[in-house]
Amino acid sequence: MKNDPDARHILRTRAKALARPSQHAPAAATVLEVLEFRLAQERYALETRYVHEVCPLKDLTPLPCTPPFVLGVVNVRGRILPVFDLKKFFDLPEQGVTDLHRIILIEGHEMELGLLADAVVGVRSIPADSLQPSLPTLIGIRSEYLKGVTAERLVVLDAARILADPKIIVHEEVENL
Amino acid sequence: MKWFLNLTTRSKLFVGFGLMIVFLATVIVTAYLGISALQASQKSLYQADFANALDLMNLRSNQNGVRAAQLTMMVVSDRPDRERWRQDADDRRKEIETTMRSLLDRGRHDPSLLARLEELKAIQDAFEQTRATQLNPLIFAGKIEEAKTLALGIQAERYGRMRAISTELGNAAAEKARASVADSELKAQQTVSVFIIVGIMALLLAVTMALLLNRVIALPLLAVSGIAERVASGDLTVNIPEDHRADEVGTLVRGFRALLENLRAQTRQLVEGANVLGAAASEIVASTTQLASSASESAAAVSETTTTVEEVRQTAQVASQKAKYVADSAQKAAQISQSGRKSTEDVGAGMTRIRQQMDAIAASMGRLSEQSQTIGQIIATVEDLAAQSNLLAVNAAIEAAKAGEHGKGFGVVAQEVKSLAEQSRQATTQVRTILSDIQKATTDAVLATEQGSRAVEAGTRQTEMAGESIQALAGSVTEAAQAATQIAASSQQQMVGVDQVAAAMESIKQASTQNVASAKQLETAARNLNDLGQRLKQMVERYKV
Repeated sequence: MKNDPDARHILRTRAKALARPSQHAPAAATVLEVLEFRLAQERYALETRYVHEVCPLKDLTPLPCTPPFVLGVVNVRGRILPVFDLKKFFDLPEQGVTDLHRIILIEGHEMELGLLADAVVGVRSIPADSLQPSLPTLIGIRSEYLKGVTAERLVVLDAARILADPKIIVHEEVENL
Repeated sequence: MKWFLNLTTRSKLFVGFGLMIVFLATVIVTAYLGISALQASQKSLYQADFANALDLMNLRSNQNGVRAAQLTMMVVSDRPDRERWRQDADDRRKEIETTMRSLLDRGRHDPSLLARLEELKAIQDAFEQTRATQLNPLIFAGKIEEAKTLALGIQAERYGRMRAISTELGNAAAEKARASVADSELKAQQTVSVFIIVGIMALLLAVTMALLLNRVIALPLLAVSGIAERVASGDLTVNIPEDHRADEVGTLVRGFRALLENLRAQTRQLVEGANVLGAAASEIVASTTQLASSASESAAAVSETTTTVEEVRQTAQVASQKAKYVADSAQKAAQISQSGRKSTEDVGAGMTRIRQQMDAIAASMGRLSEQSQTIGQIIATVEDLAAQSNLLAVNAAIEAAKAGEHGKGFGVVAQEVKSLAEQSRQATTQVRTILSDIQKATTDAVLATEQGSRAVEAGTRQTEMAGESIQALAGSVTEAAQAATQIAASSQQQMVGVDQVAAAMESIKQASTQNVASAKQLETAARNLNDLGQRLKQMVERYKV
């Protein structure tokens, strides 16, 4: 087997093909570091510079008298943070909340909050020029929160806009206490 | 005429033929009387008149002879000649006397004739007296002269007188005879007239009777015979007119009428009978044909049955041999079942040992199950660790990204940690899968062990039952051996019986063969009967009713 000239040729050809450097090596300046996660089988990503931490969903406390996208509050090392459900914004199918869910903590504009993710894939680099503008089919709030879509259909969200959106600030009063 | 028709035919015939017989008797009597009268007249004619005339002629002749002889004697001189002539004269003399006597006898009732005859006789006697006493001696004495005188004298005169008288008498007799003949002819003519008249009357009466009888008897009989001919030719539609005659012809006509009526009714019934017979014969033919075919089929079936019985006989023979073999086998089986019982006892002991070992296996399996549970808990812990490692790696990567260029090396480390965490998660997943299989297998093994224990218990019980069964079987086999012996004996008897059945079947086969032949004959007979029926039908159809 080892002395088979054909097999040796095939192996050599494969080695040459694997040893070829990537043609599309991205330039350092245009690379975007993102955290990829999943929401109901769709892939989403957030820029890492807004991400503070990823932690497991534990001790979620539901909040009454809040909009539907507010799941509740959690205690992360002594800080009480609200947890939003992005699926409500993107009209994705609901699933039950379990311990396997993760919370992505983001901060900016002097505001910190947690976004519920079904699973966290990991940190990856994507070239900035590979981002395509928002799809014409995405309208409304989805297009507001959208930064771009890659060729691999990875939806990159704009964390700054989410944090800056005044709608997420809940100011409701429940009368008739 | 009516009274005549009503007379019986016998009476008619008696009357007719009686009248004719009466007429015939009249004719016969008339004829007899006429013929008798004729006979009487002829008799008187011959006896009286013709006899007298004849006698007188004879008398005359003899007188002439005597006279001639006397004269001749005188002429001749020879004495013997004279004697001879004298003798001749004497003979004639005797004849004259005889004739004279008969004449006298015949003439008794006639006085005139008698007187003449007496006179003649007196002269005759005188002539004779002279001839015998005077003349003849003179002649013999030779005194011829004297004799001549005498003879030519007195004797000649006497002779003349005699001759005159006899001639006179002869003529009178001839006259009388002639008158009698004429009288007789007249009588005969009268008799013939009577015959003719009576005969014509009888003929007329016979013709009348024949015509009358023909009309009264023959014509009706002819009509009846014509009808009878038509009837004989098959035409029964003829009608005979009503007749009230009281005689045999009327009776015959009425009888024939009744006969025709009866014949018509009988022929009608006969026609129906012939039709029924024809139909029945046809059905009989069909039936007999079916019968014949059935007999053939049954003969074939009997033949098959005979063959089958033969096969059965051979089978019975085989069965008998088999039964003997079975009896021997049953004996062996009884011995084998005894040894089988011992074997089941050994099996029972073996089952007990297996049960103990199965209990030990069950305990081991229980421990194995508990330990696999513990392994599962450990795997859960490892999984949790892998998840936390993953999260840590993500956070580390985030931190590294925040650190910028300086955090790049750390980012690589974090990436490696993440991949390790991923590998350990996959490993735990594999281990969990394996463990799950192990647990499933263990559970199955535990269940199998429990089932095995139960099976062993059941096996023990069944072994006991098998022991009992084999014991019972041994008894049964012994009984079976006895039964097989009996069966062998029975099959022997059966074989004998089947032989008898085969012989009987052979007889039945012969009988059925004869039966087939009989059926064929019967069929032929039925066909003949059918032909007969058809012919009868055709014959009967000729009669018009």
